[in-house]
Amino acid sequence: MNERAGEPRGTPGYRYDEQHDAPPARQVSDVAVERFEHIFEVDPKLMTVHVAQQLFPNWDTLRIAAGRGDHLEWMHRHWAGTVLSGQELLDEIERESS
Amino acid sequence: MTAQLTDRVLDELIAALGKDYVLTSKTARMNRARVPAPFPVHRWRERVPDLVVMPATTDEVATVVRIANEHRIPIVPRDGGTGLTDGAVPERRGIVVDVKRMNDIKEIDLENRTCTVGPGINMLKLNEVLAKHGLIYPDDPASYPCSLVGGRIGTSGWSLVGSRYGHTRDLVLSFEIVLPTGRVIRVGDGGGRKVSKSSSGYQLKHLFMGHQGTLGIATEATLKLYPKPEAEFSPFWAFADFDSAYACVGRLARAGVATFAGAVLFDEWKVDYLRRDDEAYIPQPEDVRALVCAVCYGNSDEVRAGGKRLMRIARDAGARYLGDEISQGDWAARHDRYATPLHGRTADGQVAPMSWHCEDAAIAYTDLATVRTAWHDIVAGLRNKHPVFDDWGMFFYTSADTGVDYLTEIDVGIWEQELDDASWAAWVDAKREIAAVALRHGGSISACHGSCREGEVDLVPEELGGGYDVMLAVKRSLDPNNIMNPGKYGLQRAYEDQP
Repeated sequence: MNERAGEPRGTPGYRYDEQHDAPPARQVSDVAVERFEHIFEVDPKLMTVHVAQQLFPNWDTLRIAAGRGDHLEWMHRHWAGTVLSGQELLDEIERESS
Repeated sequence: MTAQLTDRVLDELIAALGKDYVLTSKTARMNRARVPAPFPVHRWRERVPDLVVMPATTDEVATVVRIANEHRIPIVPRDGGTGLTDGAVPERRGIVVDVKRMNDIKEIDLENRTCTVGPGINMLKLNEVLAKHGLIYPDDPASYPCSLVGGRIGTSGWSLVGSRYGHTRDLVLSFEIVLPTGRVIRVGDGGGRKVSKSSSGYQLKHLFMGHQGTLGIATEATLKLYPKPEAEFSPFWAFADFDSAYACVGRLARAGVATFAGAVLFDEWKVDYLRRDDEAYIPQPEDVRALVCAVCYGNSDEVRAGGKRLMRIARDAGARYLGDEISQGDWAARHDRYATPLHGRTADGQVAPMSWHCEDAAIAYTDLATVRTAWHDIVAGLRNKHPVFDDWGMFFYTSADTGVDYLTEIDVGIWEQELDDASWAAWVDAKREIAAVALRHGGSISACHGSCREGEVDLVPEELGGGYDVMLAVKRSLDPNNIMNPGKYGLQRAYEDQP
C-alpha cells in the first residue's frame, strides 16, 4: 500500500491484488473525490487526524454502492406501485404552454 | 441493583414471566440504557436499568406494573428505543419493560380497514403483511425501519406523510394501556375500538398519546388503514436563495392538492452540509443554495393531476427541477435516516465521528425565517466555544395539509466521545435557548420528538401554562406512587407540594 497522507492503511486482505488498485481519484469539489462513476468519497486528506480509513477492495466499494441503490428501489416498491417522473410532467407542461 | 430491587422482587417477576424473560445481565441492561440522542459517554452508567423484563401479554405487563407499584420501583416502557427525547431512558434505573415480544398482528379487518396489533410491531414489517391485501398503515417516521407502534403512541409521533394521512394520533383509532396501578383500560374516541369520531366523554386517547411512559404502558393498538398508493411523486427543486425557496414551499403547501403528502424546505446551511457527503448534492453547481421538495401519494390519476399542478407552481416560483434520479433517490432515503453513517467536521475541516441530533419545534409558516436565523446564531455560538458541535443545517417540513405550521429542525453533529461536563452544560443551555426562541415566536417546543430532555423541559410549564398544572394533577392522580418513568417532563413536582 502506498503511504500517502490520508490513504487507506492496512494489509490487503483480498487475494486478487488488482482489486486493491482503485482508479485514480478525480477531485470533484473541495471536499470530495470520485474514483468510480457517480460514487463520491470524502477527500482522504480530510481523514488524517480523527478517523482511520478501512482498506476496501474495489468490488466491495461497488457492492456497497449497488446495495444502496437496491435499498432505495425496494423502498419505492414498498410505498407505492409506481413512481411518477417529474421530467415527464414538466415536459407536458412545457408542451401545453408552447 | 438498587436497594429497592430485592431478591423478593426478582422472585415475583420470575414467577410472573419465567426466568428467560427477566434479564439481569450487563449486556441486556446496557443495551437498554439509552436512545440515539447524544449523551456524555462518561455518564452512560447513570442510566443503566437494574433489570429488564420482556412480557408477552397485557396480563403480564399488568402483573409487572403491580409488582413495581407495590414495591415503589421505577418502571420505564421501551419499544424501539429510537426516540430523541429520552422517553425510554431509565433515568432513575429500576425496571425497563421491553415490549418487543408483543409484536403480533391480532386482526386485519378488511371491511372496516383496520388492524389490531401489539405495541412491539414495526411499521415496515406490518406493511409487508398489509401489502398482500393492498393496504398500508402510513405512519412514516425517519426511523421507519426500526421504530415500533407502541413508541409512536408514547411520543405522539410525527409522520413524513402526515400532511396527507395524519400523524400517529390520527392513525391510531384506539389503544389499550396499563395504568401505573396495573389497571387495564382502553382509550379512543369514545369507547369503541374502531371508532374514528365520538362525542362521548372526554377524549382520553389524546390524553395518553405522547405519554412518554409517564402514565402507563400501551399494550395493544387498533390502527386505521389506507389503500396502498398506486403512485408516488417526489420532485426536488433547487433555488439560488433561501427567500425564493421559502416563498415556493408556502405556495405548494397552500395549493389544496388532495394527494399532497408533504413539502420540505432546506436552507443554505443544510445544502452546505449535503455538499460535503451526499452523492446527490456534491456535484451541484454553486448557485444551488436552497432546496424544496414535495411529495404526493394516492391513485395514479389523482397523483398525476396533483403533481402537475405542483410542478407548475414550482416552475412559476423560479424553481429548477433537479431531475428524476435525485428526486426519487433522495425521497426514498428519507424513510430511513437512522441508517445513515454520520460524521462531522472540526473547525479545520477534518472529519470527526459525530452523532446526529436534531432540535425540533412546531413553528407557523410566517415565523420560519426569523426562527432560522436565531437558531443558527445559537449553534454558531456553541461551536465557537466547543468545537465538538457542528451545524448540519435546517429543514422545515409541513405538518398539515393547509401549510399552517412546519416541523422545524436544526440538525447538530455532536462528537459524543469528546463531550465533557462543560460542553454538555453548554449544549443544555443551547437547547433551552432554542426552545425559548420557538416559544417567543408562538410555536411549540416540539412537533416531533417530545420535550423531555434537559434544557427544553424547563420551558414546558411556560409553554403549557395552566395546562401544565393539569398535567401535574393527572400524573398524581393516575400514578400515586410516582413509579412510571419518574423524573420525566419535570413531573416530580406533582409530588413535591404534598403534605
